[in-house]
Amino acid sequence: MTHTEMNPTNNVKGSFRDPSGFLFYQEDKLCRQINKIYQSDYAMLMESGLYQELAKENLIVQHKETEKSFLDTEPGYKVICPQLIAPITYPYEWCFSQLKDAALLTLKIQKTALKYKMTLKDASAYNIQFTKGSPVFIDTLSFTKHQEGEPWIAYKQFCQHFLAPLSLMAYKDVRLSLLLREFIDGIPLDLASSLLPKKTYFSLGLTSHIHIHAKAQTHYKATGLKTNKRKMNLSGLLGLIDNLESTVKKLKFTFPDTAWSDYYTDTNYTKEGFEHKKQIIQSLTDKKPSSTLLDLGANTGCFSRCVSNKDTAIISSDMDPVAVEKNYLQCKTEKTEQILPLLINLDNPSPGLGWSLEERDSFLKRFQADTVMALALIHHLAIANNIPLNSIAGFFHKLCKQLIIEFVPKEDSQVQRLLASREDIFSNYTQKDFENSFSSYFDICESIPVKESKRTIYYMKA
Amino acid sequence: MILFIFMTSFFCLIAWQKNVYAYIDPGTGSYLIQILLASIFGSLFFIKLFWSKIKSFFTKLFSRKSA
Repeated sequence: MTHTEMNPTNNVKGSFRDPSGFLFYQEDKLCRQINKIYQSDYAMLMESGLYQELAKENLIVQHKETEKSFLDTEPGYKVICPQLIAPITYPYEWCFSQLKDAALLTLKIQKTALKYKMTLKDASAYNIQFTKGSPVFIDTLSFTKHQEGEPWIAYKQFCQHFLAPLSLMAYKDVRLSLLLREFIDGIPLDLASSLLPKKTYFSLGLTSHIHIHAKAQTHYKATGLKTNKRKMNLSGLLGLIDNLESTVKKLKFTFPDTAWSDYYTDTNYTKEGFEHKKQIIQSLTDKKPSSTLLDLGANTGCFSRCVSNKDTAIISSDMDPVAVEKNYLQCKTEKTEQILPLLINLDNPSPGLGWSLEERDSFLKRFQADTVMALALIHHLAIANNIPLNSIAGFFHKLCKQLIIEFVPKEDSQVQRLLASREDIFSNYTQKDFENSFSSYFDICESIPVKESKRTIYYMKA
Repeated sequence: MILFIFMTSFFCLIAWQKNVYAYIDPGTGSYLIQILLASIFGSLFFIKLFWSKIKSFFTKLFSRKSA
């Protein structure tokens, strides 16, 4: 499906808050209209050397100026074509270290911008995307001239989008990143302050940027006090950013024991069965290469790493934040550019959010792949979540052209574990029912039993 | 007259730029606390830079001596 078909009016729905410009699609190419209001700031960004320095280090998405026509002529100044990043992912789909890296990149860019007498006018986590294993800043229109004595206008936004969720994940519970799904402009600081444990008062950074900051917000909320005459010098601003940076760096993720992050060391596979499963994946992805692959229920990404074609862009998703964290850290250590780990809960994937439910696109709108790989996943959907096999097949059909899926029968110890504390109401969960349900949507091309296990891996085509 | 037009355009540009700059609400409390924190962290940052310069001076001095 092309972007134009997905969005017939052409403009990108989430790009409307900043009057400096907006994104749109023209002839299926991503374009950004820059409005006249932003002309002088854009000239400064391009002519000061700031853009060149950021682009050289791959910190900002690169763009080309074009002669393409404006979508909205009257305010239009220029049209640029940024390098396309796909799929777009959101902060509530990132693990702790991804959000931390995004926060540090934002601060690095702000420090670099100040060197060129510019500043970031916003510090939204949605301005960061992940490509080739690293975060990159995507909003070319975020830079504005730094007026001498002006504080950082995006300070509050940075604390809400980055510092609040990171501190909650580090000190309270890693699942609190999902609050970002509810609070689209970041977690309110009074909420973060009330949820954080008392020991965070021993951190100078968290006390200042979260607790005292929240109290100041509440205190001045109703005063309507004029602020524009109060100034701060550049060294104060640099000190503030330096402290934000060291506060973020000090936040560490502690690994709790979760159900799935030790899955490969706590499983019923024999060594031979496990190796055979890897060989099957290598062989199938070798015979049927694809440019995009979505590994659902990927755990720490063990089988994402078995994909033969090294040009395939792989989304390696799981619902367990600890598994996704391990996967991301391994990608960083091994400098893997091919795999993007993401936190996706398949029985409740990211919905359309924000204004008119279109500001942030749903999982289904963003994730279409040549191949979907769903290994050791079907029993979690069908048995742990009571989703009918037919409905699972229909959902996978919306996502891909070809499917690599593992059927895990009831006799398997992992399924027995799921059934241990509940009544078995799943009389329709058999290999025959599985094949019948999936045949309605796919052609079953191959079925390969995994050695020394009761499982079977299928290759299907839509 | 030319001066009048120039000055009017100049002030319009400044006013216009201000609107672009602050398309998000910095928040009164956030704005004021930032100024207060900047004065503290600015001083700490100055000390930190000063200390790192002293450290690098002695590191260079001793590494030269040992060489």
